[in-house]
Amino acid sequence: MELFLMTLTTGIMVGGIYALVALGWVLIYKCSGVLNLAMGELTLFGAYTTLSFYMLGIPFVLSILCTLIIGIVLGILVERIFLDRLIGEPILAVIMVTVGLSFFFKGLIEFIWGTDTRVFTPAIFSLKPFTIGFLKISTVYFWSFVLAIVLFLVFVAFFKYTRWGLSMQATADDETAALSLGVSARFVYAASWAIAFMAAGVGGALLGNINGVNISVGYLGLLVLPAVVLGGLNSVPGAVVGGITIGVLQNFAGTYLDAFFPGGVKEIFPFAFMAIFLLFMPYGLWGWIKIERM
Amino acid sequence: MTKVWLPCGHYHENYAKDQGWWQTPVIKGKMIFLLFIVFVVFPLTLSGYWLSVANMIAYTALGALGVQLLIGYAGLITLGHAAFIAVGAYTSTLLILKFPWPEFIVTWGLAYPISIIVAAIVAGLWSVLFGLPCVRVKGFYLILTTMAAQFITVDFILTQYVSKIGGRGQAFSLPPGTIKIGPWVIDTDLRVYFLMITLLVLTVMLMSNLLRTRVGRAWVAIRDNDIAAETLGISIVRYKLLNFFVAGFIGGIAGACWVANLAALSPEHFPWFWSLWLVGVILIGGAGIDGAIFGSIFMVMVMELLQMAAIPLSEYWPRILIFFAFIKDMAFGLAICAFLIYEPRGISYRWWQIKNYFNLWPFSY
Repeated sequence: MELFLMTLTTGIMVGGIYALVALGWVLIYKCSGVLNLAMGELTLFGAYTTLSFYMLGIPFVLSILCTLIIGIVLGILVERIFLDRLIGEPILAVIMVTVGLSFFFKGLIEFIWGTDTRVFTPAIFSLKPFTIGFLKISTVYFWSFVLAIVLFLVFVAFFKYTRWGLSMQATADDETAALSLGVSARFVYAASWAIAFMAAGVGGALLGNINGVNISVGYLGLLVLPAVVLGGLNSVPGAVVGGITIGVLQNFAGTYLDAFFPGGVKEIFPFAFMAIFLLFMPYGLWGWIKIERM
Repeated sequence: MTKVWLPCGHYHENYAKDQGWWQTPVIKGKMIFLLFIVFVVFPLTLSGYWLSVANMIAYTALGALGVQLLIGYAGLITLGHAAFIAVGAYTSTLLILKFPWPEFIVTWGLAYPISIIVAAIVAGLWSVLFGLPCVRVKGFYLILTTMAAQFITVDFILTQYVSKIGGRGQAFSLPPGTIKIGPWVIDTDLRVYFLMITLLVLTVMLMSNLLRTRVGRAWVAIRDNDIAAETLGISIVRYKLLNFFVAGFIGGIAGACWVANLAALSPEHFPWFWSLWLVGVILIGGAGIDGAIFGSIFMVMVMELLQMAAIPLSEYWPRILIFFAFIKDMAFGLAICAFLIYEPRGISYRWWQIKNYFNLWPFSY
C-alpha cells in the first residue's frame, strides 16, 4: 500500500511538469493549428539555458526568470522566421518544419553544450526527503510540482484577466470572428509560441533537476504527445489531466511492470498506452470530435 | 508529371505503344544510357569510398520509396518506417544465422535470397499490424500511432527481446561467407553495390507498374479524398492496409540489403531519427518515384559535401570535426525548413520545370 501511494504521489508530481509542457503544446494547436513535434527540444533548450545561468552564479529562481525571457524572444523569432511563411500550407509541411526545427535545436544544443550529463551544482533542493504522514516525498519532485502549478496558474490568469490573453482565447475559439474584431492573428501566433517556449523551458529546467540535464530530457518532452492525445488536442484542462495521468501511468508501469519485462518498460509505456487509447477514443477525453465513418 | 511529352509529328498508332514506358527513341536512348552508367560505368570508375556512398544512396532510396508509397500515394503520413526496415533486417539475419537450412540450399547460395523474400513478407505483415489503426484514425493521430509503432518495435521488442536471441548481447554480426547469392559471396562494396542497384531497379519497376494498375489509382483516389473514394466503391480499409503491406515489403527489402552492406546488426541502426530522415528525403525530393530517388541523392550528397567541407574548416574551429554528427543534425533540420519554405514541391518539381523549359523552348508557355 505504501509503495502504491508513493508511486501515485511521485506520478502526480512528475505529471504536473508534463501538464505544464502540455499546456504550451495545446496553446500552439488551439491558436494556430500547428502540431508541434519540436516540444522535446524546446524543453531541452530551457533546461540548458537555466543550467547555464545557474552555473554563472545566478540564483535558481532568477535563472528561471531569465529562461522565461529568453523563451519569449526565441518563441517570437521562431514563429516569425519559420512558421509565418507556412500559413495555409498543408499540414504535413507544417509538421515537418517543426521536425526540422527540432533537429536544428537538438544539433545546436549538442554542439554548444556537449553530450555529458550536467547536474545543477550546488544542488538546489536538499537530498533528504520530507515526510507527510508515512509518505516520503523527495523535495525535488515536490518543489517542481509546486513551481509547475504556480506557473500554470499564472498562465491561466493571463488568459482570463488580461486583454492579450482574452484575444488569444478568442482566436483559439474562432479565428475569423476574432480577426473581424481587430485581433491581430500574427500577434496571437507569436504569443502562443512564446508561451510554449516559456512553459517548455521551465518544464525542462524542472525535469533536468530530477536526473541531471542531458539529451534524454528531450524524450521526456516528447511524452507531451500521449498527454495531449489523452486529454484532447484542443483542451487545456485536458492537457492538465492528460499530463498528470501520463505521469502516474508511467510511474506505475515502472514500479509494477518492470518485473515482467527485462530492461524496463517505463519509457515506452506511455506510447503503447497512447496507441491503444487512440483506437478507442481518438479525440481524447475533451477534444472536439469530428465524426467520420470509415 | 506522368504525361510523356511527345515532340511534333510523333504519334502512336495503337494502345500498347501509347501506354509504353519509353515512348520516343530519345527517351529510350536516355534511359538505356542511364542504365549503362549505373550498371557499367560506375562500378568501373568509382573508388571504394564513392561506392559506399552509392550504397548509402541506394539504401536511402529503398527506404524512401516505401515512405513515398505511404505518404505520396495514399496520404497516410508515417513517422515509423525505420521500424519496418528493422524488422526486415532482423528477419533476414535471423534466418541466415539460425534457421536450419538443408545442405543443398546453403551450398547453392540460396539462403540469402530466400531470406530477402521472407524478410520482405514479414516486414509487410508487421507493417499491416501497425497500420491497423488507420482503420479508425486519420491524419495527425496516424502520425502518432506510427510513432508509437517505431518506439514499440525498435526500442522495446527488438532491443529487449530479439537482439538477445542466442545470448549475444546487443548486436548480431554475420560471419563472412554467410551472405551468398548463388556462387557470389557478397562481401565487398562493389558486390553490395550491384545487389542494391539491382534490387532498387526491380523495386522501382514493381512500384511503377503497381501504381499504373487499379490498385495505384485507388490509392491516389484515397489520398485525394477518401470519403469520396468510399462512395465510389473503393474499399478504403482494404486498400490502405494493402498500401501498408507493400510499403513494409519494400522496407523489408531495404533492411535485408542493409544487412549485406554492414554484415552486422544492432537496433541502434534504426532510430526514430532515421524515420524522420526518410520523411525529410521525401519532402525534399518531391512527388513520385523520382522524388524519392532525387531526395536520397540530394541528402546523401549534401551530407558528404558537408563532411568534406568540415575538414579544412576544422583547422580554425576544431570543434566542428569533433561534433560533426550534431552539425549533420542541424544541417538536416535547416535543409528541411528551407525546402519547405522556399521549394515546397521539392526537387522533382524543379526537375520537371527544367525539362519542360527545354522541351517547350522557345515557347515558355
